[in-house]
Amino acid sequence: MWRLSTLGSNLVQTVQISNVFKLSLDPQTVKQWKRFRSIKRGYYSAVILVSLLLLSCFAELLVNSRAIIVSYEGKWYFPTYAWFISGDTFGLDYDWETNYRELRQHFKEQKEGNWVLMPLVPYNPFETEGTTVGATPPSWETKHFLGTDGVGRDILARLVYGFRIAMGFSLVLLVFSYVAGIAIGCAMGYWGGAFDLVFQRLIEIWNTIPFLYVIMIVASIVETNFWILVFVMVLFGWTAMTWNMRTSTYKEKAREYVNAARALGSGNARVIGVHILPNTISVIVTFIPFSIAGGITALTALDYLGFGLRPPTPSWGAQLREGTQSFDHPWIVWSVATAIILILLMVTFIGEAIREAFDPKKFTYYE
Amino acid sequence: MTTYFIRRFLLIVPTFLGVTLLVFLLTRVVPGGPLERLLLEASMAGAEGSASQTTDFGSHGRGPLSEEQIQEYSEYFGFDKNPFHAYVLWLGKLLVFDLGISTKYDEPVWKEIRSRLPVSIFYGVATLILTYGVCIPLGIVKAIKHKTVFDNVSSILVFTGYAIPSYVVAIALLTTFAAGLDWFPLRGFVSSHFHTLSFFGKVLDIFHHAVLPLIAYVAGSFAFMTMLMKNSLMDNLAADYVRTAVAKGLHFRSAVFNHALRNSLIPIATSFGNNLSLIIAGSFLIEFIFNINGFGLLGFNSLVNRDYPVVMGIVVISSLLFMIGNILSDICVAIVDPRVKFGADGSNQ
Repeated sequence: MWRLSTLGSNLVQTVQISNVFKLSLDPQTVKQWKRFRSIKRGYYSAVILVSLLLLSCFAELLVNSRAIIVSYEGKWYFPTYAWFISGDTFGLDYDWETNYRELRQHFKEQKEGNWVLMPLVPYNPFETEGTTVGATPPSWETKHFLGTDGVGRDILARLVYGFRIAMGFSLVLLVFSYVAGIAIGCAMGYWGGAFDLVFQRLIEIWNTIPFLYVIMIVASIVETNFWILVFVMVLFGWTAMTWNMRTSTYKEKAREYVNAARALGSGNARVIGVHILPNTISVIVTFIPFSIAGGITALTALDYLGFGLRPPTPSWGAQLREGTQSFDHPWIVWSVATAIILILLMVTFIGEAIREAFDPKKFTYYE
Repeated sequence: MTTYFIRRFLLIVPTFLGVTLLVFLLTRVVPGGPLERLLLEASMAGAEGSASQTTDFGSHGRGPLSEEQIQEYSEYFGFDKNPFHAYVLWLGKLLVFDLGISTKYDEPVWKEIRSRLPVSIFYGVATLILTYGVCIPLGIVKAIKHKTVFDNVSSILVFTGYAIPSYVVAIALLTTFAAGLDWFPLRGFVSSHFHTLSFFGKVLDIFHHAVLPLIAYVAGSFAFMTMLMKNSLMDNLAADYVRTAVAKGLHFRSAVFNHALRNSLIPIATSFGNNLSLIIAGSFLIEFIFNINGFGLLGFNSLVNRDYPVVMGIVVISSLLFMIGNILSDICVAIVDPRVKFGADGSNQ
């Protein structure tokens, strides 16, 4: 598994360090990484996507109705991650949560040296604006850069938080379904026999079930939340990875080095963990981007149909739905559709680049 | 080989039992099962009144239920009985092709499903023709013109189609061309004044409604097919037998079309049987977006309305189609590629 971590962005440094410390970094991995970097489309997509993901971890500092810094009478306040700062703290006449956009205006008019630093997009994804009725088109003046939806929520804010939820969902889903898939698949390929047969039948049943449909059945019966949705998706989505791992374990097991390891007295755990798994890592890594794309697609589809996360959770699917319910506000659909298309394109570019890096098929083209 | 396929057909039975049992139990044993929930919602909806109108449309039709409906549900699913007993009863009815009565439409489930089939089959067949008609020629041209401007430009298109799920394509098309530019009708299979049109007008009307959904359907499978065709043809172009054929003086063009192409169609055949599912079951997302009253939309509406007899009927038909389609694919492969021997070494399960 340590090879996975070396696929991080600072691998080149790691390689140099490893030369110094004589760490044995697999030359194969270095070659694959170099090949990946040479595929520009995939590499830059990876850089952009990882940056977006990191930025979205701190979305509260970029897209939020709370100020980043408030300087009031010489004292600095950082409301972003604070629990609650009431209005009278800043000399306003109310004791509920401060409205920082108004506070900023207020301080500007006062000209007493107090100031407020607001995030780039000064709205959070939940606040409905009382003053505007209905959806408003994009506007720089109100800082609704992509407009608002039917109840006055900022679309960009909901897009950003929706992205974080969708990516988080796909990553969590990926981890759980891969852990299950790798464990079961390895066991099936390694031990074979009755265990293999039973799970083969089970997987066949599982694959025959109309996947999205059954999730919708479950979602229509129980109240869904993030973790229930993850659980259900893992429950019905573990088979793909299992099948791949079964095949590749099966192949690896038949090779000489496994026999050699056995002859040297390695136990099952060691043969699987130290010998077989590292050799199947390319299968796993190659599938990651496509699983992420699949996770985003499935979650968005479920949200679109109304069987996903419950409102008012910011979600791309719910936004798509709102945009298609009435077509008077095309900016809603366009913002979300563009976001989905861009993100999925980048994920697919990364996937193709990884696939090519791990399995360079050089076509000997005949003319 | 025949025994292999007979065995495959027999294996449909246990898989089918597994699938239906699983879905059947799902609709019953999940905590807060449908009946309890219906009763609860019925009482809540009475208290809330019209306040529930504003909730998301996923909860449509969850309104109060009449005593009769509750009675129907309990009778149909045998809620008073143990779930396995109820399942066996349901299965017994299925054996005489009785899918039960839809609780929503009050019609036999099979009649409901059959009435939706023409629409779904129209879209399925049209998609099939378009997909193969576009992908195979495009794949061939891309393979022959590998790394040229044409190949690179069409690759961008293919890639975009591959990355974006077809329902996003559908929504984007709908917003732009139907709502924004008003070139195509927004929803439905035919216009409301369909019956007043002449024959030619009817055909035109159907196709006018079909353009956008068909593009969305084709976008889904287009990329995969094209790349499959291209890659397999390129593999074959690089193979020794094509080299030999050209070395012996055969024209390159006839080497491609008479030798390489036939072998490259084998991978295409491996997924041919799955079109059976596509033709009939289609995509409920696209049917939902364009409000096409086909098989998929019926499935969606039955879920929303908690019409479990229809839900089970849909599961029965789509899982059977899927399994038969898989076997059909294998038969296709065996037909086009005489080297394939299924079941000979036991590796093909």
